[in-house]
Amino acid sequence: MKNIVKEIKSKFSNHHDFFIEEELVDKTAIYLIGFNTLIDLPKSKLYVQQIAASSSSVKALFINLSDQIEVDTEQLLKAILEGKLVIVSKDNEENVIVDPIAQNLSRSIEEPKNESAIQASMDAFGEDININIGMIRKRLNTERLCHSSYQVGDLDKRRLSMLYIKGRTPNILIEKVNQQLMQINSDIETIDDLNRQFGKRRLSPVSHLSTTELPIQAIHSLKKNRIVLFMDNYPFALVFPNLIWDMFSIENDRNFPFVLTFMLRIFRVIGAMATVVLPALYVALVSVNPGIFRADLALFVAKSREGIPLSAFLETILMVVIVDLILEAIVRLPKSVGPSITMVGGIILGQAMVEAKLVSNLLVIVITAVVIASSAVVGMQNSLYIRLLKYPILVLASLFGILGVWTGFIFTVIYLASLTSDDIPYLTFKIEQEGDTK
Amino acid sequence: MTQRIQIVIVFILIQLSIGYLVYPNLIYALTKTAHWEVVMFQGFLQWILIWIYIKGLNYFPENDVIDIYLKMGRWATIIILTPFVINLIALVAFNIRLHTEVIISVFLPRTPYWSILILLYFISVYTAIKGLGTIFRSSIFIFLIVIPLVLFNIFSSVINFDIHNVTPAWNSPARFLFNIKFFYLLGFSSFLFLGFMASKTKLSFRQLFIACASVTLFFLSVVYIPLFIFGQDTVVTLTNPFLEAMDSVEISWFSFNRQTMFFGLSLVGLVIVANSVMLWMISQVMRKIVTSRRVKSSYWIIAFSVISFVFAFFVPNQSLVEKFFLWSTGAQAYSMIVIPFTIFIYGFLSKRGVIRYEK
Repeated sequence: MKNIVKEIKSKFSNHHDFFIEEELVDKTAIYLIGFNTLIDLPKSKLYVQQIAASSSSVKALFINLSDQIEVDTEQLLKAILEGKLVIVSKDNEENVIVDPIAQNLSRSIEEPKNESAIQASMDAFGEDININIGMIRKRLNTERLCHSSYQVGDLDKRRLSMLYIKGRTPNILIEKVNQQLMQINSDIETIDDLNRQFGKRRLSPVSHLSTTELPIQAIHSLKKNRIVLFMDNYPFALVFPNLIWDMFSIENDRNFPFVLTFMLRIFRVIGAMATVVLPALYVALVSVNPGIFRADLALFVAKSREGIPLSAFLETILMVVIVDLILEAIVRLPKSVGPSITMVGGIILGQAMVEAKLVSNLLVIVITAVVIASSAVVGMQNSLYIRLLKYPILVLASLFGILGVWTGFIFTVIYLASLTSDDIPYLTFKIEQEGDTK
Repeated sequence: MTQRIQIVIVFILIQLSIGYLVYPNLIYALTKTAHWEVVMFQGFLQWILIWIYIKGLNYFPENDVIDIYLKMGRWATIIILTPFVINLIALVAFNIRLHTEVIISVFLPRTPYWSILILLYFISVYTAIKGLGTIFRSSIFIFLIVIPLVLFNIFSSVINFDIHNVTPAWNSPARFLFNIKFFYLLGFSSFLFLGFMASKTKLSFRQLFIACASVTLFFLSVVYIPLFIFGQDTVVTLTNPFLEAMDSVEISWFSFNRQTMFFGLSLVGLVIVANSVMLWMISQVMRKIVTSRRVKSSYWIIAFSVISFVFAFFVPNQSLVEKFFLWSTGAQAYSMIVIPFTIFIYGFLSKRGVIRYEK
């Protein structure tokens, strides 16, 4: 009559880390079942034995261990996969799911790796979803902070959590996001998988979600009437909806006096504008509309391009692509090799190309400015999409000159204005507080 | 999330777009002295029409103009709004073509006009398809960029002023009232789109008054800057007096050669907003008159923009464009008088209970 144990055993017959240990408690045999890659077996055994010593019977032991007693086989299997310890008595009459002493598989709270915080608290989110939510709860002591959790996915059930402040976030928004999260029936592996659940933006470079690694930033978003999502095993808070101002401001700015905060943010705006417009402006001014400068300036520009065989558009697109390649290559390479790319790239771009008369001096300056400027915005995701936006404008500039730059810029603005996530436009600066506290 | 400030901004932008190019010519044709009287009078008339229009619209909360006409009856809607739509198509066509001519003369003298026409049409149609919310949001950003350019243009031209060019400033023969061109002048307004948003926020007169006042100020500057620089006798001979005025300005410390570039840039921003609003209005009317579920409003926009593109494409030269543009604004003035009055009278009567309509 060992059918439950047998059934479990046959299910996991090709898992070599699966264990069934027999123990004797109060003259009755019990089976401890689980994965030794997820459970610290010696310590858990000790724990069970200690509780057993103070319990009068097997039944009492089970009650002392956990309140999930006598569940069906289905749930037992699920619990084993989740890394729980399952104990079954020999006569198969009783079973229990115990929270064991787990193998330490996640890192502890560390410093932020993707965002650098200056003059701010230095802890960042980690992989464990519970720790992440705990970090928010610790900083935001209010009963109005609500938390709903979901398990979604087809093959693998992934845990998602939604946090919001009741009375701040509009109720309609909570309702909609709740619906959208419940409806997920495919596997959520990456942010883009999740992003797709919020409606049609497949071909858009702008995500519905903005990521942050810093608890302070997540809490600030919550207070600004937004929703924060967490994915299990993903060390970022996902703020919904993503708004344009996220690109220019982080809460840590405000640890400085107001004027400095203002300055920082203005610089980021200038950076974003420069990234989008500068290369196109160079092409327009050099090749299509040289006449709008004063004569001396126009002469200077023309002189810098003396003897260069490539057309202004080709030259610019070449440089822009090389720079984007370098930026990507630095990310891909191991940390010890990365600097060499920077050095080689610097030499090629800075000197060799100019001396070979492939590109003009002025263009090198422009490109350098663009690279620096594009990195000034907050968040890698935003920096990337800003870098993408410059290409269409560049093409328009080569066709229409200044007019092309300008229409390209207006078109970009119109495109960004047309983006909405759950009826909240991307270009809003704040979400009206509509929720009620009831 | 329509807000009043957005409505006001779009209102101002459309006015500027339509008024920038042809408005001064009309004024110079109407009177030789005391131009400000004509401008102020036009502003005043427009203000009265807006007042009547808003009053009429407020009788029907959460309804737009088309809904109100549909209450009157289907045929009434078709009779009154079909000329309006045709007129809008023409206005879109000639407005874009007119701007294209100026843009070519400012930026790209060697580029064929159809390529710029296509560029402007593409962006306007895209914006119109994306809907009113997109138009509003993008117009705020366009406003923030364009208005400083406009102001810069206006203030930088002060250095060329000669005060004697505009004397005598006090002479008021009211003859201009009977000139057909004054009727055209009335068409240089854009308030009709106010009725196309079934807005839950009631429009307030105060904000619209500020908008109207600033637009009138702008019109005054558009009329008077060429006057101050060239004088009445020269100005009547120029095709684009404001453009020439901008071209004459030279600031020595400024690193750009010509002020006209900024003028051209602001024109592009304005014309995109104005035309996308007009295309959107067309689509709204058609969507509500032809209640077919299969035809989306974006199809209407594309179809009508193709028609108006054909119009714009086949006009041979600039003087014809200008003439057609004036005709279409004149026809627009007709709608501007008819629509507010019919709405107002209908609203007034139905409030008194003379006409009963089913809810």
